[in-house]
Formats: sequence, structure tokens, C-alpha cells
Amino acid sequence: MTALGKSVKYVFIGKITLRNQLAYVADFLVRSLFLLLILYIFLQLWRTTFQGEGTELIAGYSFKQIMWYLVVTEAMTLACPSLCTRIEEEVKSGDVAFKLVRPISFIAFHYVEYMSEAAIRFAVNAVLGGALGLLVIGPPAFGAGLLWLPVAAFGGFTVNFTVNMTLALSAFWVEETRGLEFVYHKFLFTIGGMLMPLELFPEALQRIGHWLPLQAIVYIPAKTAVAFDWTRLPAMLATQAFWIAVFGLIAVFVYRKGVKRLNVNGG
Amino acid sequence: MLTADKGRLASISEYGRPGQLRRLLLFVWQCWKLNLAGAMEFRLSFLLTAGMMVINNVVWIVFWGLYFRRFPVLNGWELRDVMMLWAVAAGGFGVMATLFGNAPRIANLVATGQLDVYLSQPKPVLLHVLISRMSVSAIGDVLFALMIYAAFGDKSVAGIVKFALAMALSTLIFIFFTVISGCLAFWLGNTEGLSFQLFNALLTFTTYPTGIFRGLGKLVLFTVIPAGFISYLPIGLLRQVDVPFLLGAVAVTVLLCLGGVRLFYSGLRRYASGNMISLRR
Repeated sequence: MTALGKSVKYVFIGKITLRNQLAYVADFLVRSLFLLLILYIFLQLWRTTFQGEGTELIAGYSFKQIMWYLVVTEAMTLACPSLCTRIEEEVKSGDVAFKLVRPISFIAFHYVEYMSEAAIRFAVNAVLGGALGLLVIGPPAFGAGLLWLPVAAFGGFTVNFTVNMTLALSAFWVEETRGLEFVYHKFLFTIGGMLMPLELFPEALQRIGHWLPLQAIVYIPAKTAVAFDWTRLPAMLATQAFWIAVFGLIAVFVYRKGVKRLNVNGG
Repeated sequence: MLTADKGRLASISEYGRPGQLRRLLLFVWQCWKLNLAGAMEFRLSFLLTAGMMVINNVVWIVFWGLYFRRFPVLNGWELRDVMMLWAVAAGGFGVMATLFGNAPRIANLVATGQLDVYLSQPKPVLLHVLISRMSVSAIGDVLFALMIYAAFGDKSVAGIVKFALAMALSTLIFIFFTVISGCLAFWLGNTEGLSFQLFNALLTFTTYPTGIFRGLGKLVLFTVIPAGFISYLPIGLLRQVDVPFLLGAVAVTVLLCLGGVRLFYSGLRRYASGNMISLRR
């Protein structure tokens, strides 16, 4: 089969996932109420903080920038499907056997499915969060950042997928992986810059944060959107590409090792 | 039934005999013991689940630690106050979900006709429903609350008494607000989603200082979603006793308890069994 023929399969998997997800847009809207609740609370928190500080800028961010930063990070975080739950269930139930015998790459299949689902959820969250932002915070001054946000978000979701896939594949050895995912999420919330920009962290923690893959997931896309800087963009995108390559290779390695020792009963 | 059988049944049944309260307390104690024994059956899973909840809460402590390092005072709130806020909120939620863990499932039990099993047993229905489940992860919340109190709390006798009172108020508000939101299912049908959102809103709002809210937001916190009566406890009770606030918190707690019990039993009259055969879980 030609490379084009192979890629068409994945395009169709993506299309089917998108169609499946579109059927549940109303459900997403209800679930996204939590996003609005969190954004409302952070709005109050940062408004009080800025008033208490009595300054226009904190660590280079204005109030509006911090709030739009949080709209992007929260919308992205709540859009990520739980890969560990999915793969853990597949391994436990034995359904993984059906995935492995198909003439498609196991990792690529999950990647296309993950990205399609994340795209729909992110769009819904962005519309809701954006509407709240426009009503309460006022229009953002994204400029070119708005154009580069989809690219950076695509990179962020891909880095998140590769890291999550590496964790999820450990189900081939330990079955229970949700605990690992849980702890990983907590790191993403803090040192990954989901709850506040890395610039607000103490110096030492900022330095650590810049050496970790976590900054590439939500911090880089949000920073790209709210504080766009042409000179820093190539370095940011290169950071994402680097971590995609590193964790992509680790995921492939772990998959090859794990699939050899997988023993499926039933399914 | 033979007359002889009636006599034997009367001797087995303890109905109407003295010591009803003692028997009830024993029943509650046995339920909790069995719930814990069930959780301990999968010991590693139990430890991991409880441990993960502690990690989850620690992340927020780290967030607030970083925040207060950068901004030492937030509208009068200091790091210690927010730590105690987490102790009271996580502790209240933890005690509710550990000892009265079925509270968040009431809407589901009503909508799916799973109350039959409780109605057929000679015990107070609401109490029996509430104590029939234990959330293993919530044990981690209780441990976390105690750890935070040990690290940041006032360990004098007065401090311990105030913390115990704060925990009691927080637990009761959590239980009965959750019961009331679950009872909506008696009148509105399947309100699982709505009840969960209300519960989630209470839980989320209790973990942020009341000092950041104003206007309508603050009004909501002290009326529709009474999270303010929990989240202001570190200032209005633990830091310094604010008598009007404390009286208000006690009054609201009593109102929620009475309202919750009344609403549940009023709703129970409207409950229609689904004739589903189920076991008490």
C-alpha cells in the first residue's frame, strides 16, 4: 500500500471520531459548566490580586492577559481525553486484541482518535470560555497570537498525547495506570503552568519548568496567544517539536517492548 | 402463622424495647466497620486511592504556597488562613464522603428506583442510605485535613475545640446540602447531572477564600450555595470568633439539617418503586 493510501485510513478514523464526538456536543456544553465556574473563580481571584497590588502588570502580564491565558490553559486541559483510562480498559477487557490485529498502527490510531476528540472539545471550551471572556474581561489583544494559537495548541496536544501514551502503555505491565496519569496531571497543573504562568513562579522553579516537557503542553500555547513575540516563536515551536520527538520515540519503544509480553485472555 | 410463632417472633424482634438509640448507634458503627472492611479487601488499591487524594490536595497547597510567596496578603487572607480553609473544606468533605458516602448518589438512587431495598428494612431510611457507602479516596481527604491542621493550626485546647466545631459545621453543611440537591430527583425526575453540578459548585467554592468574591457572587455563596459558611470559618471562627457569623453559620447548618430530613421524607411519599431487584451496596 502506498503512503497516501495508508494515510487515508487515518483520515477516515479521524473523520469518524469527529462525527461521533459531534453527536455529544450538547453533553460537552453541560460538562463545560465547570470550565465557566473555574474561570469565574479565577477572575475574582486575579481581580482582587491586581487591586491588592495596585499595579497594571504582574510579571509582565496585565489582568486581561492573565485571564485570557487561563481561558486557553483551562480550555485545553479540560479538552484532553483520558488516554490511560481508555488503554487500561482495553488491556483489562482484552479488547486490545482487536486493535492489534487491525492493519493500522496502534499508536497512530489512538493519536488520530485523541486529536479529533480534543479538537472538538477544545472548540466547545474555547467558544464558552471565549464568550465569558468577551462578556466579563473584554476583547483580548491577541494580534498574530490568535493565528498561531491553533499551531501551538496542536503541538501542545501532541506533546500531551505522547507523554500520556508512554504512561498509558505501561498498562501492558501493570494494568492500573490511572494513578500515574493522576499524578502527571497534578504536575501539569502546577509546574506545567496551567494554574498560573511560569513567570509568576520563584526563579528556581521557573528554571526547572523550562527544562521539562510540561511547559510545551499548555504554557506555550497560552503564552503564544496572549503575549505573542515573533522572536520567541521559533524557539517555542522547536521546544514542542523536540518533546514530541523524544516522547514519540519513547512511546514507540515502550509499545514494542510491551506488546511482546502482552498476554490477552478472552476479549 | 401459628400463635406459637408469633410469640417466638416477638422475642426475636427488639422493636419498641428500651435501648433503641444504643441499637441504632451499634447499627451505624457496624455499617461503617463493614464499609471499611470492604475497602480494605483491596488493600493496595485502598492505599493508592487515598494517597492520590492527598497528592491532589497537596497540589493546591503548592499552588497557594507559590501564590502567597508572590503576594503575601489576599484581601486580608494570609497563607495560614487558606491552609486552614483547605483543612476545614477537605476535612468536612472527607468526613461526609467517608462516613455518609451515599449522599452524592441520592439522585441516582431515586431516579433508578434503588431505594426499595432501604424501605424494606427496619431502620431510618435516610440514615441507612447515607451510611451504606464509603468513599475510599475521601479517607485521604480526612488525613490531609489533619496533616494541614497539625502543620498550620492552633494546637491549644481552644484551638482544637474551634477546629472540631468548624469540621462539624462543614461536614453537616456538606451532607445536608448534598441531600437537598439529591432530593430534587423526587420532584424533577432524573436530576443526576443537576445535583452533581450543585454539589460540585459547593465543593469548588468552599476551597477559595471568601475575600475574593463580592457583589452577586458573595450573595450566592451565603444563600443558594452556602459555601461561604464553610470557607469563611478560618476567619470567622478559627482566627477570631466573629459571633454574628458563627450564629449565622450554626443557624444555616440547623436549617439545612432540618430542611434536608424533611425534604427527603416528603419526597419519599412521592417515590415510585421501579420493582427492580437490587442488593444493598
